[in-house]
Amino acid sequence: MTEPTPKRVTTLRELSQDTEPERDLWPQIEAQLAPARPSLAASNGGAARRAVPPSLRWLALAAGIGCVAVGVWIGRSALPGGVQPPIAAATRPAAGTVQTAWVTDPRYRRDHDALVQSLGAQLASLPPASREKVMKSLTAIRTAKQELEEALGKDPSNALLQELLVNTYQDEMRVLTDVHEAGDAGKGI
Amino acid sequence: MTLAQVEGSAIDWEGALIERARAGDSRAFERLYREHVGRVYGLCLRMTREPALAEDCTQETFINAWRALAQFETRSALSTWLHRIAVNVTLAKRRKSSRHEAFAEPNVEVEEEGIEGGWTLETPVEVEEIEAAIGSLPEGARDALVLHALYGYSHTEAAQMLGVAEGTCKAQLHRARKLLRERLNVEIA
Repeated sequence: MTEPTPKRVTTLRELSQDTEPERDLWPQIEAQLAPARPSLAASNGGAARRAVPPSLRWLALAAGIGCVAVGVWIGRSALPGGVQPPIAAATRPAAGTVQTAWVTDPRYRRDHDALVQSLGAQLASLPPASREKVMKSLTAIRTAKQELEEALGKDPSNALLQELLVNTYQDEMRVLTDVHEAGDAGKGI
Repeated sequence: MTLAQVEGSAIDWEGALIERARAGDSRAFERLYREHVGRVYGLCLRMTREPALAEDCTQETFINAWRALAQFETRSALSTWLHRIAVNVTLAKRRKSSRHEAFAEPNVEVEEEGIEGGWTLETPVEVEEIEAAIGSLPEGARDALVLHALYGYSHTEAAQMLGVAEGTCKAQLHRARKLLRERLNVEIA
């Protein structure tokens, strides 16, 4: 049995930039975060934010990440130049603001309903793997919406719940818009 | 899927996590930590040469980043911003240490020719050997070398991060090149 040949380099740039620490540093970092939350969180209903069950926050984040993953999947597989979702961008509230009115905005309702109506046809034009990812993501987002709406029913003035709900609506619009764009791109428009 | 894999996609995955972290979502911040910890720790380790100290610097970097997240401009790269914080933290810890070597401008004539070289070795060198040679450099020369030759920052960026004049940074690089050449017994272009 021969010894493995030691790795050699010809430029310094070939040396690895990444070195993982031997232990997980996150628990100690996380312990320091609680008393030093970013100012945005502290200034906007801090007490109400702390009352949100962690499971709901995680659910909304998971839905968002699922949505982004679907967008990336579609963006890489079907959209040659990368297309920003115009509807979501146009209706996106400023960071940190709570705009539940946005959800009932007639323009939002109209765009949302149109996208939902064409969803079946657009999904049919996607490859099966993409279609499955979209369906999973939409299911996660809709579960998150339902859970957040139920939680808001019990605590209507909770600012963080409202914000998470708006984020979840935005996530849904992003997925719907991306599916719409991907469907159009697949048809060569 | 990592953030690096989806850079340039239609969806700003990292931007979405930054936005949520700014709103106080520590889970989103954890995702950012997991994505960037390798590069941050790698830089701290090369600057300190002590794993325990590099871990402290890495933890402090992410804690400071969380506190300052509201000031982060999303137009710039998060990795560069984290590196700037990591360099500041490491230099501050060094200043407190009795073993600190001052980042004084070395008494050498800086030849502009060759300064912009790609740090290419005339003959391949084993990674362990070159890492040991880099680790044995004086602090000032090593810092400049690591930021410029390994992490790809320009002279101006490296000088700004280290809080020195650009000429000083170039002089340190010249010194690093000379010492590496002697220690590895190989030409560096």
